[in-house]
Amino acid sequence: MAENFITNSIQVQNIIKGLTLTKSLFVSSILIGEPHSGKKTLIHQLFPTAIYADGANRAQLEQLLEIHEELIIINFEKLHNIEKLHFKNKRIIAIANHITNEKIIDSLFAFIYQMPPLRERKEDIDLLAAHLLGEVKTNLAAQKDLAIDTDKLDISKNMLSLRRSVYYQVFAQSLDETQIEEMLYNFFLERLKGKSDYKTYLYLFEKPLIEAGLKKFGSQLKLADILGINRNTLRKKIYELGID
Amino acid sequence: MNSESIDFKFFIESDNNPFILFGVNGKILYLNDAAEIMLGYTTTQNLYNTALIYAPKNFGYKTTHVEIQYDMLLFYALTVAYQNEEQIGLKLYLKPRMDTAQTINTDKLQVTNINALLEANIALFKIHNNGNLTLLTDHDLPSCRIDQNNFSKLMRKIFDLFTLASSVHITLKLIVGEYIIIQNRREQILQLSIQADIRNSSDDQMIQKMAQEIHTLCICKADSITLHIPFIQK
Repeated sequence: MAENFITNSIQVQNIIKGLTLTKSLFVSSILIGEPHSGKKTLIHQLFPTAIYADGANRAQLEQLLEIHEELIIINFEKLHNIEKLHFKNKRIIAIANHITNEKIIDSLFAFIYQMPPLRERKEDIDLLAAHLLGEVKTNLAAQKDLAIDTDKLDISKNMLSLRRSVYYQVFAQSLDETQIEEMLYNFFLERLKGKSDYKTYLYLFEKPLIEAGLKKFGSQLKLADILGINRNTLRKKIYELGID
Repeated sequence: MNSESIDFKFFIESDNNPFILFGVNGKILYLNDAAEIMLGYTTTQNLYNTALIYAPKNFGYKTTHVEIQYDMLLFYALTVAYQNEEQIGLKLYLKPRMDTAQTINTDKLQVTNINALLEANIALFKIHNNGNLTLLTDHDLPSCRIDQNNFSKLMRKIFDLFTLASSVHITLKLIVGEYIIIQNRREQILQLSIQADIRNSSDDQMIQKMAQEIHTLCICKADSITLHIPFIQK
């Protein structure tokens, strides 16, 4: 059910309301929005039993249009000659990443909805991140408490990049020493080429070590003491590694 | 030709164009059937004032081509005539409406809960308008047959004209006492009115054409759009 669609956005809630009300009507609707903005999830939750047709396969679409009175058309932007389609007395829900001919869309569809991208529904980001955190914790059977740094969430590709950034953060927090070792082993196995690579890749260890130390202990003097190195050496490394 | 003995009253009575004969101070001395209907949409005083404005300077008659609208009644010209100081006559000429050649195939119209259809259209409108919206409707309206898709397209286009409004009032009701004949059947008329503090009128003609295609009368005013929809039940 669409009640499960995670959103605090008034605009999306109005889309849900409008589409819910068309469930019993024979009208054509289209939901347009950027890739991974939640269009397919929303439509699937609202019309769980509907038949799907792919705009990339016109022959199959035309066949399904003849048989069914309710049809969901995905990848609608891939269809050509859309003015020749007949949606009369059918419940059509089309999903498109973008539209090419506004006039034809306007004449073909009664209900035209624009799904806002995540950057336009900031109220949804924390909500979705929390949901994804729960999802990833379950999937990875994570035992310890994990937190998300909301400043590091990536919404440039909507849910695709958001999911990736949440998974990455959780993954980065849950690795143990063996896994870090294994990860570095795989990395070096692929990259080592034999020209002073020790020096080239030493930063992979030193940079996070010093950055984390500075954040944790505040001063270079204290960190030098903690790390057991000379403070001049530490200062030099900070400079060389370009640590702010 | 001697017309002394011919009774013209019957012909005036049954004329589709309204005719009113005013006496001194705008008192109605006579009106035909069409004028009686017209008085449902405007006032006697308003009509009398119109007669005085367009009256000829001297005894006689004057026809003026001017567009006049009283609610849903649209006229393209009027004639004002008088031959003494006691009586003045006003005749208005109805503007012919475009008649689409299409006939309604009522079997192909879907049985519809008109309130649900309207709610879906309002939900779409509310995405684009944050103003105060009120809806006055009769939730007991029985289902009727309507072309849901084309009706919704029309509603979307109408609501597009109200996106800048800060206050929108929608009324849906059955008109009492007025009917429309469709395929020899007398059908009731459903009136849907959208009224707002401000509206765009640039697409009024297109909307009227779209309405006509679904056998709906569209009355556009400065602050409102009213639809008269055939309420087909069988």
